Amino acid sequence: MKTIIELNINDEVFEMVIEPRTTLLEVLREHLAFTGTKEACGTGECGACTVLIEGKPKLACLTLAAECANTRITTIEGLVHDGQLTPVQQAFLEKGAVQCGFCTPAMVLTATALLEENPNPTEYDIKKALEGNLCRCTGYNKIMEAIREAAKSGESARNRK
Amino acid sequence: MRLPKFQLLQPKSVEEAADLLTKHEKSTRIMAGGTDILPRMKYGLESPEFVVGLSNLPVRKPRDSDGTLVLDALMTLSDVAQNEIIQKNALVLAEAAHAVGSYQIRNMGTLGGNLCQETRCSYYNQSHGYQFVEPCFKRNGDQCYFIPKGKKCWAILMSDIAPALFSLGASVEVVSNGRLDRTPIDRIYTKDPLHPIDLSKRQLLVAITVPRKSGLCGSAFAKFTVRGGLEFAAINIAVVLQVKEDGLTCSNARISVGAIAAAPIRLEKVESMLAGQKLSRDLFNDAGLMAADEITPIPHHGFSMSYLKVCLRSIARDALALAYSRIACH
Amino acid sequence: MSELEYVGKSVPRKDGPEKVTGKALYTTDLRPPGMLTGCILRSPHPHAKILNIDVSRAKSAPGVKAVVTGQDTLGIKHAFVETPRYPPDQYPLAMDRVRYVGEEVAAVAASDLDAAEEALSLIRVDYEPLPAVFDPIEAMDPSAPEVHPNHPKIKESFHNIGGKTESAWGNVEEGFARSHIVMENRFESHLRTHGYLEPQVTLAAIEPNGKLNVWTSSQGPFIKRAKLARTLGLPESSVRVQKTYVGGAFGGKIDLFSHEYCAALLSMRTFRPVKITASREDIFCAYRHGQPLIVEVKTGVRKDGTLEAQQFRVINSCGAYRGSGVVVIFLSWGFAMLPYRVPNLRYEGYAVYTNNPIRCPQRGHGAPQMRFAIESQLDMIAEALNIDPVEIRLRNARHSQEQLPNGDNVHNCGLSDCIREAAGHTELKQKYGRGRAEGSTGRYKRGIGIGVSAYFGGSLIYPNSSSVVVKMNDDGTATVLTGALDIGQGAETILCQIVAEELKIPIDQVQVIAADTETTPVDIGSWISGNAYVTGNAARVAAGEVRKKLLELAAEALEANIGDLVVDEKSVYVTGSPESRLTYQQLLAAGVAKNRGDPVIGEGHWRTMRDEPAHPSLATTKGRWSENYAFDAQVAEVEVDTETGKVRLLRAVTAHDCGFPINPLLVQGQIDGQVSMALGHALMEEVVMENGQTLNPNWLEYRMPCIHNLAPSEHIDVITESFEVGRAYRTKEVGEGYVSAILAAIANAIYDAIGVRLYSTPFTPEKILRGLGKLK
Repeated sequence: MKTIIELNINDEVFEMVIEPRTTLLEVLREHLAFTGTKEACGTGECGACTVLIEGKPKLACLTLAAECANTRITTIEGLVHDGQLTPVQQAFLEKGAVQCGFCTPAMVLTATALLEENPNPTEYDIKKALEGNLCRCTGYNKIMEAIREAAKSGESARNRK
Repeated sequence: MRLPKFQLLQPKSVEEAADLLTKHEKSTRIMAGGTDILPRMKYGLESPEFVVGLSNLPVRKPRDSDGTLVLDALMTLSDVAQNEIIQKNALVLAEAAHAVGSYQIRNMGTLGGNLCQETRCSYYNQSHGYQFVEPCFKRNGDQCYFIPKGKKCWAILMSDIAPALFSLGASVEVVSNGRLDRTPIDRIYTKDPLHPIDLSKRQLLVAITVPRKSGLCGSAFAKFTVRGGLEFAAINIAVVLQVKEDGLTCSNARISVGAIAAAPIRLEKVESMLAGQKLSRDLFNDAGLMAADEITPIPHHGFSMSYLKVCLRSIARDALALAYSRIACH
Repeated sequence: MSELEYVGKSVPRKDGPEKVTGKALYTTDLRPPGMLTGCILRSPHPHAKILNIDVSRAKSAPGVKAVVTGQDTLGIKHAFVETPRYPPDQYPLAMDRVRYVGEEVAAVAASDLDAAEEALSLIRVDYEPLPAVFDPIEAMDPSAPEVHPNHPKIKESFHNIGGKTESAWGNVEEGFARSHIVMENRFESHLRTHGYLEPQVTLAAIEPNGKLNVWTSSQGPFIKRAKLARTLGLPESSVRVQKTYVGGAFGGKIDLFSHEYCAALLSMRTFRPVKITASREDIFCAYRHGQPLIVEVKTGVRKDGTLEAQQFRVINSCGAYRGSGVVVIFLSWGFAMLPYRVPNLRYEGYAVYTNNPIRCPQRGHGAPQMRFAIESQLDMIAEALNIDPVEIRLRNARHSQEQLPNGDNVHNCGLSDCIREAAGHTELKQKYGRGRAEGSTGRYKRGIGIGVSAYFGGSLIYPNSSSVVVKMNDDGTATVLTGALDIGQGAETILCQIVAEELKIPIDQVQVIAADTETTPVDIGSWISGNAYVTGNAARVAAGEVRKKLLELAAEALEANIGDLVVDEKSVYVTGSPESRLTYQQLLAAGVAKNRGDPVIGEGHWRTMRDEPAHPSLATTKGRWSENYAFDAQVAEVEVDTETGKVRLLRAVTAHDCGFPINPLLVQGQIDGQVSMALGHALMEEVVMENGQTLNPNWLEYRMPCIHNLAPSEHIDVITESFEVGRAYRTKEVGEGYVSAILAAIANAIYDAIGVRLYSTPFTPEKILRGLGKLK
């Protein structure tokens, strides 16, 4: 049974026709053009579909769109402001933390949420926050370096000044 | 992978939720965070007609009620892990919550949901489009793939929260038929892998209550995994230790082991052994050895029984030592 | 290499901004209007006859636009290997028999996934199950069920042999007789899989004029085009495979997959775009796993540890079809004879059919398995001779300009330096054996180990060569056309660096158009370790032609000799007179105005071993294999928890002869990723199968390293080559060579820590505890 719902994605409101079974991931990727959020497993085991809901990293593949009314959803597309990359994005580029790039949007979002909640994370804090994001290309070394670099920058993780 | 079709009911209060469960009892499932039920539905393991989503219910903050800590079942695992009251009064629960899954899963999964998760088995938790097609016992069939000539199901309860609550002597508050009942946590589990939770489709778990511990008390949770995160446990353990005023003699020990049966198991022999003893590293060593003898872990997900015993010996000793080190006088 | 501005620099990736902002489009992200969703019906039997397939109910189900089975295909076979000796053996859809659980039997295109899956459930297949065999040794037994008849050239009593490789030189019997020590051991490497994040996915869209457009997650569009065209009966000119970003491949996306064929066929039937996406479960169960290998190695050495003779028998369980089985047994020979001098060798390898999903290359393709065996045994020999593990390797390591027994030359070889650097940097000689000697009794024991490996850079496999076109734009910027495909390694970036260097144009003013079979020239693909060497040189040649033309234009305009001209910052000037420079823009305008008006375009072609007709024989190893060999030594420091058997990789040091790094940051990333893969291979990854079915088709139980398992990875460059504008260069591969020595080093380090020798991967806690006598 289809219903209409308003979803706030990246500070823009979209009116969507959905079914109960429609996941947020499906809305993002198939109904809208937010293909930066990826589906790599669909069952919550890899983190590639991470989005921020009220600033908290969650898995879009296991989130029903119907449960997202009145929430603020941030996808990777929502991180860039006026064409400027955020400190986390910039650090990922500079440190060589991007190879195939498929895990990258989720990594960047999760790292961003971590630094907003904990601007001075320990190594263990970083690992605990990113433990649900699989990467097959980098071995995580440069991802770790990038997050440490972004933390050092001290700027708000999300917005560049 | 797509979810099957269903009707979503989104009550705004516990009463409304309880009503809906009663009304649609026959083919209803509750969804809290969704991290257990939605993958199961994607794998085709169940296909309820109605899903009662609880995300619109208010989530009450942890509160004290006559010396009992009352925790809303809908608290996210992240919130449980980070909550200062829980860290102070029931550290083993905060640690258990922090050990679950991943950051994302902890932000979505709930305290109640983790308790009510279905039991798991490698042969079972996958789609059966072309593999293991014939249903096993847990899929209402008449065979077991894990023990091919077996006559029962061997699926395991993998919950990290359950053993913590067992050791805390917690209870759950369940709403049904307009009544609120409090039941000790161990009575919620049937030990039957086919139906691990003794809650009818009409009942709604609304709170977890943790009795205050008097006197000197320390607790610890340990989870053995291959990678150190992201996984279900090979085996886990929750320890709550109480000592007398001398800070040395055990007055009460509650030790629960999980992920090796359809319900957590209390190590009653080890608990008896420890009671009244002066606690020491050597004693914890003995406790570990005794633990490995006391229970027979069911092998699962590639871990053999003998290896699980090795893990148990190790984490039992270490969790006891850690719990002891946290007792306030130290 | 002192005046280089772009090559050798850690230039940021060209595609980096797209990837960090989520703008990069992968095949899975494309959704053209009118797109249908396809899905595949798979066999539940490991071995069965197909008696009948009834698709009538599926065809008339709501939303279904087409249903195809083997009968709807041209019945043209394909395979990873397609040679006269090893002709293709796979049908795109099963015809009369299925040979593994998950084999593709039918495909449906429908308006959405629901309708497609519903239609699948309405297809009725009548199977007659046949006996099946899953273990390669059992399959070789004459009484085993027959997956396929033996290869016609196999005259042995073994059954289910898909192919054999044999190679020998010298006289191993005499060699063993002369040896001071002879050791014989058996090592087993287990079943693993690639674990790429982006699923297998293909979008195919036929145009009314018969042109087939394909976007697919691959490792190179040209081989896909060739196989699609042939199996579909279309001219290659009508099949266009276009670039999309690829979310990792690691060897698992090279040759033709059934879903690619089916998406194309279904589009041709429906005249609509059709996308087929494999579920993660399908990928774990029914796609390709890596190659498990049994390696029996007998080695004889002289008293000083130098190799006298080596004899190998390698058995590969290639799955239900040949897959890359006949290649891995060839490559295993190569990885056996490469890094050390082996005066007498006998090698035989068997690719054995079993009723399992087809096995294909997985990063390293035989090198990890072989080096694990050889390097473990070498340590055992060193210990028996009381020689340290560094010395024994230095004594056997090949040197620069050595001729290999197959006729190749290693050219510049920095292996000895790699060994010394890796060992020196980690103080291996001081640490090795210390723990065991001291008889330390703690719970945690540390150990250190070394491994050595070598890899080839480019060989003659279809399409054999790469071509690149460089076009100058009017404003002096450049556009590069290359068939090269980025699968994460940074292919486009390094080609851009090479062109930028040759033409002295800033990186951000060199645009790369890539991986489109219709508009970009042919490329060898990203699976033969040849991007930097083969495609890179093609790019250099193309840029060189452009450079030459610009210099000619400048010589005329400046009235100077070409030899007196300097190229710098998109301009040309006479030596000593930079203030009178002419910009490329000016030169190009002048060229159009005068000089025949030709635009400035350069084309470059490169083929490894230009005079060789083809790849060496897979069966006999005769022939030239490569003209580019990379070498490395890796050291692992581990900590073993003797109570739980868990192993932690504390440190990985890679000393590598990669020639020279075109982009050091990208090279480091490759090393880190491969150390991580080796760690997974060693300690945590395993595809668990039972009767042809996969027990752990998900990421919860196929345990790839997560961030907790990050291993500190250090890199030491051993530079043996250089880059100079206008000259061919021989930089070496870095994408596959570093998963092997480190695996062996971990095994050797575990032995150093606890005195337990492991003969099979993974090095599970249970194996370690059993070795310590703590578990039955």
